[in-house]
Amino acid sequence: MRLIPKEVETLWTLFTAPVVWIAHFLVCYIGAAIYCAKPELVGLSFSAVRAGIAAATVIALSLIALSAWLAWRQWGFGTDDPPHDDPTSRDRSLFQGFATLLLSGLSFIAVIFTAMPALFLTECIR
Amino acid sequence: MGRYFSLSAASLLLASGHAGARSVLEPVGEEAQQIAVLFWVMLSGGALIWLGVVALLLHAALFKRHGMNERSASRIILWGGVVFPSVTLCALLAYALWLMPGLRPFTQAMGSTALRIEITGRQFWWEVVYHPPQGPPVTSANEIRLPVGERVELTLKSADVIHSFWIPPLGGKMDMIPGRTNRLSLLATKPGAFRGPCAEYCGTSHALMAFSAVAMEPEAFRSWLAGQANPAESAGASGGALFLRHGCGSCHFVAGTDARGLIGPDLSHLGSRITVGAGILPNTEDAIARFIARPELIKPGSRMPAFDMLPPDDIRAIAAWLRGLQ
Amino acid sequence: MSAAIKERSRKEYKAQEERLRAVWANPAGWRYWTSVNNYQIGLWYGSAAFVFMLFAGALALLMRLQLAVPDNDFLSADLFNQAFTLHGTVMMFLFAVPIFEAVAIFLLPPMLGAREMPFPRLGAFGFWSFFLGGIFVCGSIFFNAAPSSGWFMYPPLATDKELSGIGADIWLLGLSFIEVASIAAAIELIVGIMKCRAPGMRINLMPLFAWYLLIVAGMILFAFPPLIAGDLLFEMERMFDWPFFDAARGGNPLLWQHLFWIFGHPEVYIIFLPAVALMAMIVPTFSQRPIVGYSWIVLAAVGTGFLSFGLWVHHMFATGLPQISLAFFSAASEAVAIPTGVQIFVFIATMLAGRVIFSTPMLFGTGGLAIFVIGGLTGVMVALAPFDWQAHDTYFVVAHLHYVLIGGMLFPVVAGLYYYYPLIEAKKLSDRLGRLAFWLMFCGFNIAFFPMHLSGLRGMPRRVFTYPAEIGWDWLNLISTAGAFIFAAGVLVVVFDVLRPKHREPRGEVNPWNAGTLEWISEPEENWGVRSIPIVRSRYPLWDQKDLARKVNEGRYYLPDAEEGQREGLVTSVLDADPIQVLRVGGTSHVTIVSALSLGAAFIALTFHWWIATALAAIICLCAVIYWLWTGTAEIPEKPEKDVGLGLSLPLYASGPDSVGWWAMFITMVGDGTAFASLVFGYFFYWTIHADFTEGIAGPDAVWSLAAAILFAAAWGLMVAARTINRRGATPAMRGLLVLSLLTTVAASAAGFAGPWSPGMDPTSHVYPAIVWILVIWVLAHAAVGTLMQAYCLARSLAGRLTPKHDMDLSNVVLYWHFLLVTAVITFAVIGLFPAAM
Repeated sequence: MRLIPKEVETLWTLFTAPVVWIAHFLVCYIGAAIYCAKPELVGLSFSAVRAGIAAATVIALSLIALSAWLAWRQWGFGTDDPPHDDPTSRDRSLFQGFATLLLSGLSFIAVIFTAMPALFLTECIR
Repeated sequence: MGRYFSLSAASLLLASGHAGARSVLEPVGEEAQQIAVLFWVMLSGGALIWLGVVALLLHAALFKRHGMNERSASRIILWGGVVFPSVTLCALLAYALWLMPGLRPFTQAMGSTALRIEITGRQFWWEVVYHPPQGPPVTSANEIRLPVGERVELTLKSADVIHSFWIPPLGGKMDMIPGRTNRLSLLATKPGAFRGPCAEYCGTSHALMAFSAVAMEPEAFRSWLAGQANPAESAGASGGALFLRHGCGSCHFVAGTDARGLIGPDLSHLGSRITVGAGILPNTEDAIARFIARPELIKPGSRMPAFDMLPPDDIRAIAAWLRGLQ
Repeated sequence: MSAAIKERSRKEYKAQEERLRAVWANPAGWRYWTSVNNYQIGLWYGSAAFVFMLFAGALALLMRLQLAVPDNDFLSADLFNQAFTLHGTVMMFLFAVPIFEAVAIFLLPPMLGAREMPFPRLGAFGFWSFFLGGIFVCGSIFFNAAPSSGWFMYPPLATDKELSGIGADIWLLGLSFIEVASIAAAIELIVGIMKCRAPGMRINLMPLFAWYLLIVAGMILFAFPPLIAGDLLFEMERMFDWPFFDAARGGNPLLWQHLFWIFGHPEVYIIFLPAVALMAMIVPTFSQRPIVGYSWIVLAAVGTGFLSFGLWVHHMFATGLPQISLAFFSAASEAVAIPTGVQIFVFIATMLAGRVIFSTPMLFGTGGLAIFVIGGLTGVMVALAPFDWQAHDTYFVVAHLHYVLIGGMLFPVVAGLYYYYPLIEAKKLSDRLGRLAFWLMFCGFNIAFFPMHLSGLRGMPRRVFTYPAEIGWDWLNLISTAGAFIFAAGVLVVVFDVLRPKHREPRGEVNPWNAGTLEWISEPEENWGVRSIPIVRSRYPLWDQKDLARKVNEGRYYLPDAEEGQREGLVTSVLDADPIQVLRVGGTSHVTIVSALSLGAAFIALTFHWWIATALAAIICLCAVIYWLWTGTAEIPEKPEKDVGLGLSLPLYASGPDSVGWWAMFITMVGDGTAFASLVFGYFFYWTIHADFTEGIAGPDAVWSLAAAILFAAAWGLMVAARTINRRGATPAMRGLLVLSLLTTVAASAAGFAGPWSPGMDPTSHVYPAIVWILVIWVLAHAAVGTLMQAYCLARSLAGRLTPKHDMDLSNVVLYWHFLLVTAVITFAVIGLFPAAM
């Protein structure tokens, strides 16, 4: 068993970080929406919802950081500069790594944005 | 032209010293005040950003002498496209999120002592019921009065399609959705009369669905509300009899009479309102008479049938009686 | 080389060229309209979309006339309402989305160095569906029957038959039909971009246009199906009184708003990204250098694609949802501005690093950018819930959305028209007229729309057909109207420039702007896309690969010939574009028109509730589609491999994930699965809004549901077994398994039906039985299609068109069954177990 996945040849890795963002977003939105519609269902306070959002955020940020690290590795730890436009598999892979790294950065910011409401809103007011 | 509106009198009244409907940038309510500040902050920031981007664009396209090297150009993408927007937007988002809970506080500060107004949107008018902390509910239509300096809770419903309730200088809007009860709270800071339009498209005469909102000093408001709780006296009693004889009472309610209809707007104190026809006509005998005769000319899609088969004198008498219900 | 050999190779070359030209030629006479070639389809698509745009623009001018002065009675309230509904609908569904499909179908094959899109007949089918649906929707206004409930059709206004009439049905059915066309285009684009690039065009060398279109096609796949699911619920309510949006029977109008905007907001980016994609082609050409920040553009396109799915509730800020919900969407709406900013700065950086030639396309491009930035900034404002409470549904929003769409989409599209026109006619459009048009449009636009910010802040709601004098809106509206006419004059100049006869002008150069990308090799007179399929070694091959154009045109690369008289292209690998297969695509055929027209007829007849005509048209459509599949797909080639030139030999047949057909099925089913997920979302939505969403009504029997789920699983298992056994050569056993699976499917469907049937659930009584029934019907309809597929495979096998080696049909059908299994298991678990679990 290895903790860090080995490098794979696929286009799908490009979407890892944004998929984490969307999962985090849906967990926060749906969780809060269900809590506000049926507070009696879970029987917890709103602070628990905020704590849940915080936990989801920490998990999402860690996953994105992992994805960024993998991307950084695929990018050859930044030894080459863009534009990565040589007609070789190596440059193609570097390009993938760099683009994935950028997307991880954007997703990281977006997850932080998504978590911000839980800092400011303390109840289910409408 | 002039078919739908001829309301100089009403709009003059409505404007109450200001030319035109009051804009969201001339706030007289707490929520509108804070949102206006937010707007000015965003506008000035936005204007600077726009000028900067356009200047850079023009420089790059027309005025620069030498091409920049790729490294520096990439750095412009990083700083201009990512770092600057991320920081600015984060700050702006925090500002807005910080504003949100305070704009519409329901639970704190409100208790049972507050006035609650229940408003139901209908094609194309507004049913208004005041629930004062003490005393029985008071029904009215197409006009909302509220005391200055006191937070009022509004309960918003719809009886048919989606409408949206909005008084621009007081605060943001809230939809009225069938099957839902939405709440809004408003705090007027200055007296005045404003136009409130229906803000969600609701059918043929959506444009002709408005109301007048009047913010009054608390004492004046309370005595006005007390007056509304009792039936009005109108001079033209013959008009009242005609009103009942021609069946108007099967749709309209007039307190203290046998008119007990609940389909159309409550007319108990019609004469005391600023406008008639849901914010679109001045409150004059002539306007009321025109509405009775041919409602569909004034408000297409209105549920009220035309009464132009009645003798003109009857219509005038009814209009005079209604106008007299102060 | 001796003269004789030279002479022979010259003759050989001529003969090759003639064969290739004949294979790709358009039919003559009226049969021209049966063409499926991407140039024709792209051109028709684009022209039709432009005509629809002019029509919708004319409606806007009528509206502006009505609003020029207060208390106007130029248009009646009802006509005005029809006009604005149709204006929005047509601009969105018949111009903005289709125009990009048109440009993509026209440009992508030559840009990728491909001969054709992978499914040309599907493209033609999509066009004819769009055209017919568009005529139907637009034509309704001439019969005073146009939809009048606004382009987002909020129930209950739009579901109430007294309030909305037949217009709402026309909107729903006409547009459902067009949504089908969009999904068809998405399938075609994804497979085309992923699998049909020229050899050597690795994903790091792909033109940015292709990157954008790939993302946009993916977005269509997740954005349109929720609307289709919403349409289904909507039409069930209108036709059969199932109360999905009727509050009195447990329904809720907000579900429509959710489904509509889950579509509607990504839609904005589906419109915007392809326009930026055009900019990403234009800016490098006129900066005469490669784009700076290629990877940043990919970041921005992918990032926008994802973030755009987290914005939908910002259209619902005033509906009274909990503030915390609104806040999440405010946050995502702010975040999406970041990738948008990145794109703008990529263009600026590229211009800074290059030597800019300020031509007409650049004028439109940068002018559009300046407008768009204002729209983007007001977008950042209205994305904040508190400010939106004030601005929502006012003219401020009208101004905002036009700044975004006209600056972000129309101006770049006109820039693209001026840029790419030489590919249509080998002549440039007029520079003088172009500049005149630009200044008219630019000034007119700002005069028309800038004052609207102010009228909105002054309290003017959108969609009002008139307004009173003396409340401060009159002179603002008068200015807007004047600006609108100036803007329209600019558009007319563009139209004139395109339509004016140009046969006196000399033929222009093939690559008049000295662009670097492959599409500039092709000549408008030829239908083959590229004379031979090149090997690509650069992002800008025409700049970096010397002699490329000459060698391509001399047929020195792949597939210079068409010996077998077939339309052929190459399939390459996703990442590195290594050639892996020769793809034979369908040629000219009338079957696309017949199936599109019959499908259209079915939808139209449904609008008027002509049940028999609907059934007849649907049967004709089904027959046409089966004929199309039978004669045009999964054909067993006459030889296993073919020499494609340069010493390379490639297989002519592929099955499973290696084949483009498998990917088309996969992509279709992803879209289908999204629609299904939207229905399941509906189920749980009703659960959240009610204390007891079953309202005490007995739900489907758990035993029947369980039985249905198990039987569907068994049918799926038999299908998988059939595919495996067939590959081992046991054809009779495979046929037996197919029959068994078909029978099991029928039994599974019966059990599924018995679930809600046995307790007598009446779908008109309450929303709970209605949503249960719609889920069951969804599964049953898919099961019916599944049995058709099984029967089709059986027939193919009996006809010798499906063999152990050539099992593409079966393998695609099994893929369908994977999705069907998931759909069925989720459905029966949800309807059978969830109410009991709660």
